[in-house]
Amino acid sequence: MQKITTDDDKSAIGIENLSLSRGGSTLFSDLTLALAPGEKAVVKAPSGFGKSTLLRCLLGFVPVASGSVRIFGTELTARSAWPLRCRMAYVDQEPDLGDETVEAVLKRPFSYKNNQHLQPDPERTTKLMEQLHLPKNLLGKQVSALSGGERQRITLIAALLLKREILLLDEPTSALDRDAAEAVVALLNGMPKLTVLAISHDSFLSTSFDRVIDLPEHCRRTA
Amino acid sequence: MTSIDISFGNLALAYLMLIAPLSIMLWLRLPMISETLIAVLRMTVQLLFVGFYLQVIFDLDSLPLTALWLLVMLVVADLSIVRGCGLRMRRVALGVFASLLVGTLIPLLFFIFLIFQDSAALGAQYVIPISGMILGNCLRADIIGIQSFYEGLRQREKAYLLALAQGATLHEALLPFVRKAFRASMAPTVAAMATIGLVALPGMMTGVILGGGDPMTAIKYQIAIMIAIFAGTALTVILAVRLTAIGNIGAEGLLRKEIFTAD
Repeated sequence: MQKITTDDDKSAIGIENLSLSRGGSTLFSDLTLALAPGEKAVVKAPSGFGKSTLLRCLLGFVPVASGSVRIFGTELTARSAWPLRCRMAYVDQEPDLGDETVEAVLKRPFSYKNNQHLQPDPERTTKLMEQLHLPKNLLGKQVSALSGGERQRITLIAALLLKREILLLDEPTSALDRDAAEAVVALLNGMPKLTVLAISHDSFLSTSFDRVIDLPEHCRRTA
Repeated sequence: MTSIDISFGNLALAYLMLIAPLSIMLWLRLPMISETLIAVLRMTVQLLFVGFYLQVIFDLDSLPLTALWLLVMLVVADLSIVRGCGLRMRRVALGVFASLLVGTLIPLLFFIFLIFQDSAALGAQYVIPISGMILGNCLRADIIGIQSFYEGLRQREKAYLLALAQGATLHEALLPFVRKAFRASMAPTVAAMATIGLVALPGMMTGVILGGGDPMTAIKYQIAIMIAIFAGTALTVILAVRLTAIGNIGAEGLLRKEIFTAD
């Protein structure tokens, strides 16, 4: 069994002997892995193993049952999760973006106090939309009228506009055709400083990123 | 002018009016008859009890006794709201009680000391009906507001988590849900104010007129009570949402699922 030791201070994400539970039952235990800054990895595991729960844990939404999670050397706790979230971005498989226009959805995060050092960048928005094969006139549409794949890409653009250091993706290509999936991969691989941890069953994504992490190989599952 | 009293014998005749709705239910074969009869019985017993009790309170006209009755009303309203919202009593009852206390007392004191400007208004005859009207509306608004807030958070958890993941503070992430809850709870009062007098004659105005007051006095009472109700419901809803959220959202920003009852 391959074991990767963590060097927390140098890792973007350092997970050591992590156990996670859901609804009282243990999902997995003793997970140890690390992602270097700029590394792009795909996490693989059977359904129900706890992959999505792991991403939510990294955002501080699921408590660490035992073990530790470090983001750029800072231990993740209920308190530290708040500043650490400002170094990460998250794209859900089926995001709930409300019922506003795409433009409003992309601007919304800039109204948050923690993001006030950032400014909405219409040029970058347009460029990202082009790179992800989205027409510019989408900006005026209601997000509720978009397809699942369009919503995924809009959420990805919202995440990238925030210029975070770590990007957490939950099945980012599940609703995309091959062309759109290739565009996503090309865009992310063109950002060398961005650390990406993606959950995916898409073999294309697995072969396109730096590393595939087989979750069961990195932990001792108990349930 | 004095009001016409209704004898208990004549009041009994009022029950004859039930024949019409009960007959319709029977004709439509709706299984509502026993439920309706129980509701009518409960209404009768509850109002008779309150009537006798209020008579004693009005006769004694003691401020501590009035305050005690007000406390009973607040506790009953608190329990009804928590039960009506499908939330766990021990998790929200205190926050709801505090919100009701503030939402009722502030307009009530405003009413007594600034509108009436008469120490006689501290009497049970004024304090109990005015606080009862404010509290009754706070109860309805709180149920709508609290339910909308927590159901919104439960149903749109992904949107809430996305906001947190995008760097929103707790206040910023909760704001859309607070806005929606506040709007939903205030809408009936705003609509009532906009149509008052045109669609239906309001309760307090009717009461003053039936009690022998002239229509202009009745209208002044009604305007003042509507504003008091509006202020009270606004205060109680915003406080209820914020105060109940304090103990039920964890340090990491997540809503504790234990707040909901099993059903």
